[in-house]
Amino acid sequence: MTFRTKLFLIFLVTVLASVSLVAYGVTHYTQKAFERMDAQRTQALEVQFKKEFAQRGETIVQQVENITNADVTVRMVLDLARPNADASLYLHDANGAAQSHGLDFVEFVNSDGTLVSSAQYPARVGYKNDWVTSNKNWDATGAFLKREELPDVAALSLTAVRTQTVGDKTLYIIGGRRLDQNFLASLELPEGMRALLYRNLEPTFVDTALTDANGAVPQAESFRTLIEQVQKQPQDLVETISWSRDPASAETFHAMPLKGRNGELLGVLLLGSSAKELVLLQREILKIAAVVALAALFIGLLVSWWVSRRITRPVEELANGARDVASGRWDTKIDVKGSDEIAQLATAFNEMTGTLAAQKEKLVQTERVAAWRELARRLAHELRNPLFPLQITVENLQRARQLGPQQFQEVFGEATATLKAELANLNNIVGRFSDFSKMPAPEFSKVNVNEALRDAVRLFEPQFTAVGKPHIATEYFLNDSLPEIDADPELLHKAFQNLVLNAMDAMPAGGTLSLRSTDGGDTVRIEVSDTGKGLTPEECSRLFTPYYTTKQLGTGLGLAIVQSVVSDHHGTISVSSEEGHGATFRIELPKRHTGATIKPKAEAATLEKESERAATASD
Amino acid sequence: MRSTKLRWLAAISLAAVALAGGGAQASPPRYGGTLHVKLRASSISLDPRDWAPGSASLADSEKLASLVYDRLITLDDYGKFQPALATEWTHDASSKNWQFKLRAGVRFSDGLPLTPPEAVAALQATLGKGFEVGATESGVAIHSSRSTPDLLEQLASGRHFIFRAQPDGTLLGTGPFFVAESVAAMASEVNPTAIKPAKIRFQANDGTWCGRPFVDFVEVTLGEPALRQLFDLQVGKTDIAEIAPDLVRKARQEGLRIWNSAPQTLVALRFEGTLAAPASDQLREAFWLAMDRDTMANVLLQREAQPAAALLPQWLSGYAFLFKSPMNLQRAKELRAAFPAGVPGVIQPLRLRVDASGDLFKLMGERVAVNARQANLLVQVSPAVSANASTPAPVALHLLAWHYDSLSPHAELEAFVKQMLDGADLPAATMDPEQLFTEERRLIDERRILPLVLLPEYVGVRPNVHNWNASAWGDWRLADVWLEPEDAASSTTATGSQRNSSTIRNSGARP
Repeated sequence: MTFRTKLFLIFLVTVLASVSLVAYGVTHYTQKAFERMDAQRTQALEVQFKKEFAQRGETIVQQVENITNADVTVRMVLDLARPNADASLYLHDANGAAQSHGLDFVEFVNSDGTLVSSAQYPARVGYKNDWVTSNKNWDATGAFLKREELPDVAALSLTAVRTQTVGDKTLYIIGGRRLDQNFLASLELPEGMRALLYRNLEPTFVDTALTDANGAVPQAESFRTLIEQVQKQPQDLVETISWSRDPASAETFHAMPLKGRNGELLGVLLLGSSAKELVLLQREILKIAAVVALAALFIGLLVSWWVSRRITRPVEELANGARDVASGRWDTKIDVKGSDEIAQLATAFNEMTGTLAAQKEKLVQTERVAAWRELARRLAHELRNPLFPLQITVENLQRARQLGPQQFQEVFGEATATLKAELANLNNIVGRFSDFSKMPAPEFSKVNVNEALRDAVRLFEPQFTAVGKPHIATEYFLNDSLPEIDADPELLHKAFQNLVLNAMDAMPAGGTLSLRSTDGGDTVRIEVSDTGKGLTPEECSRLFTPYYTTKQLGTGLGLAIVQSVVSDHHGTISVSSEEGHGATFRIELPKRHTGATIKPKAEAATLEKESERAATASD
Repeated sequence: MRSTKLRWLAAISLAAVALAGGGAQASPPRYGGTLHVKLRASSISLDPRDWAPGSASLADSEKLASLVYDRLITLDDYGKFQPALATEWTHDASSKNWQFKLRAGVRFSDGLPLTPPEAVAALQATLGKGFEVGATESGVAIHSSRSTPDLLEQLASGRHFIFRAQPDGTLLGTGPFFVAESVAAMASEVNPTAIKPAKIRFQANDGTWCGRPFVDFVEVTLGEPALRQLFDLQVGKTDIAEIAPDLVRKARQEGLRIWNSAPQTLVALRFEGTLAAPASDQLREAFWLAMDRDTMANVLLQREAQPAAALLPQWLSGYAFLFKSPMNLQRAKELRAAFPAGVPGVIQPLRLRVDASGDLFKLMGERVAVNARQANLLVQVSPAVSANASTPAPVALHLLAWHYDSLSPHAELEAFVKQMLDGADLPAATMDPEQLFTEERRLIDERRILPLVLLPEYVGVRPNVHNWNASAWGDWRLADVWLEPEDAASSTTATGSQRNSSTIRNSGARP
């Protein structure tokens, strides 16, 4: 990943994180605000319900008092106060009173607690209502919640009791309104809120006991847990119920226990607040946040790209300059803009490349001088050997002028032969230097590396086994499955020949020559090892320098030729050696050369033979 | 015993006549006018062959059928059988073979004469199995497979009318009226959601053998609620209306003329299914002891009913006073406490269905539930089964109303046993009143059916209706009634209102 990409991603992630953080913060605090608002609404509704409840209670008290003070009621009390009064006369009076005063429940109870008349349950007439007679102060008691027994079901009512007394006889007038869906429908609720009433008249949860302003509540079973909790501990509770997978369907219910006169739990009022508004707002915020985030992301994308490009351009120029320097263009210069750290770095880079170029020039100059000195030394050394016999021969000829003609003739003959030989030697030396300077460009064809190695060794085998000479054993570790590679057979032969010759020279006391070939994938690896005295590290580092030799009679061109051939084949050569344990030369040659013209093998073989002949002749 | 019973019934009737007639001003009868009658029954059948014994609608059907058809004999207010379509009758010593001589010159409302085969066909259809009816030269012969000493009581009551079936299925009679028009109930044109009640218009039969009735028409409106009838009676929209027992006191307070029959309807509690089996004896006994019949009769029914301990009323059997139904709540609770938890009514409520329609019967059902709950027996009242209900849900208890149909206690008890208890014919020996008492005692002791209260029939009669001579057993005898013009009636109303709550009894009219 490039530096620019990294910078770009960092900027992008930073922008994204910032936008997400802002969106989360807005959503979170909005939700909190809504929850607070919802709680306030519920609290307000609770207050409203209690106020409404109290008002209804006052109305019922007033209605019951109206019944109590009605003439017909007073007459009833007077009549019932008589001995042997016929209470059955008033069987339907409660019903009439309920209808005329708009109450759901009305009952008249005699002073002994006997039910005289009941609007809601006339069949119970004659039965005792001891709870009424147990309280002596009904007229000062307000309305209260009561469980109302009906023929088929029990109901919840808001009830008031008043008394009408004649003499020592008291008639109890009980009147009430049913707490049901009509009561709930009369509550004014804000949008998104609803009120439910659970009539806690059975020992366990009964779904039909739950009603709202429209009647039976669908999915009433969902309230079971909340109701049962209130039944266990009659206190305010809050629970959220989800009606579907859509969070907008959720409703938060505030459950308030409704207790009777004796503290018994008679009902539970549930104030539900829909989460729809909140969820829709949250969704809207999230939608806006998403749009803003996308826009910010896009802008951030552009800005990040621009900023990273602006920041990384000088760095890229530096990198390119460094690459140019690495590729040999030591005089590379970078445009310096501004004065920031990058500009300072560029300036330093330019100074560095300037210094490097100067150093290189100096080094080249020094090496060139050294090379010339080495060449001069080598030439002087090479030429000095034949010059000395020439000088001796010429001096012998000068001295031979004083001899007789026959003797002179003999000396002259010998001298000319020597002169010819040494001149040929000189010519040979000059030829070798000339050959090295005229190393031909490789002509590629298919070459079997193993065969090339064997051919190179085969030339020297007679010398390895010659009588009177130290014996050199040959070991082959060749991979026969190696494919033919693209190479110049003549040059390759010359290189292998020089390596074998070098190994042979390294083992004047005899030893083992090992040849190894392995498949390196796209390359072929060749190793030529000897068991000679080995090389020092310094010798190893200078071994491929032209005209460098460790031998008395070497020209220092053998391994330089090998390196030249390998280099021309785009291969590599290295040496590893440990003093006293021989040396190993490793060559790695590519199998294929793209763009090279490959000659047929037959032609290549002919060339190889010619080169063999030439090599044989040269040696 | 039979003659004693009838004499007792006649004494009641005559006393009523004396009371009613003594207070009434003598005025000449008047022909003409339309007598308006309103009934609670939403539908009636004028085909006696369709009548189910004891059904609630039977009383109204029988009343209207008596306008159109005649019986062979009738029972007068003196407890004596009087000739009607039969002028003479004889039977053998075993009371198995009876001979009836038909009145000569009797014609159906279409003018055709009554012949013995037509009487035979009608009687064979209504008497049913056990009787072979044949035509004689001048009348009909009835052969019973068993001794039937009460055949005259049977023929003088119930569905044993003489009629002729027309090819189209309608029936013609020889009675004082014939059906002139019948309009089925339909939606009101003004208010489609309201139902226009069914109406039957009877026209006076000028050619009837017993003399033309006074009124020209009797117009009967069916399906009128009790309160509506009372209101219509008060405002003069009807001349005769049925008064529900719980409204009688109110009607009397309003100064209306109220006539009541002898107890005509038995309200009883019947146990169903496993509760009727011997294994539930204790449960049924607990119910028997928990029922507060006095409160039902005196409070809920405003003293217009009688607590019932027997299946047959005193006026019919003569021995009902021997049955007692003491309420013993403590004993009921003890019995209930001994029940294992699995017994119905202990944890799961027993379902009680009120088979009779009307708020009064619903109230009775609720009272049964209240009484049962006092004995810690759980009862839940289910509404009455509507006519549209396909299969009513099974219930454990039925609150039913049985209308007494026959003047023969044996025939009545037998019909009751067959219809209500799925029983067979009563033993022949039960023709003897003592044996009949024993049989009824056995039935009561089984506790499969608990009699609760006996309801008389209450009828409100407008002051312009004269010569109201209904029998104690519920025969209205509308042929004897004549109508006073409204202006004259208004002055009579003032006089009548002075009598205030006086009760009209039938005058024992005779054909």
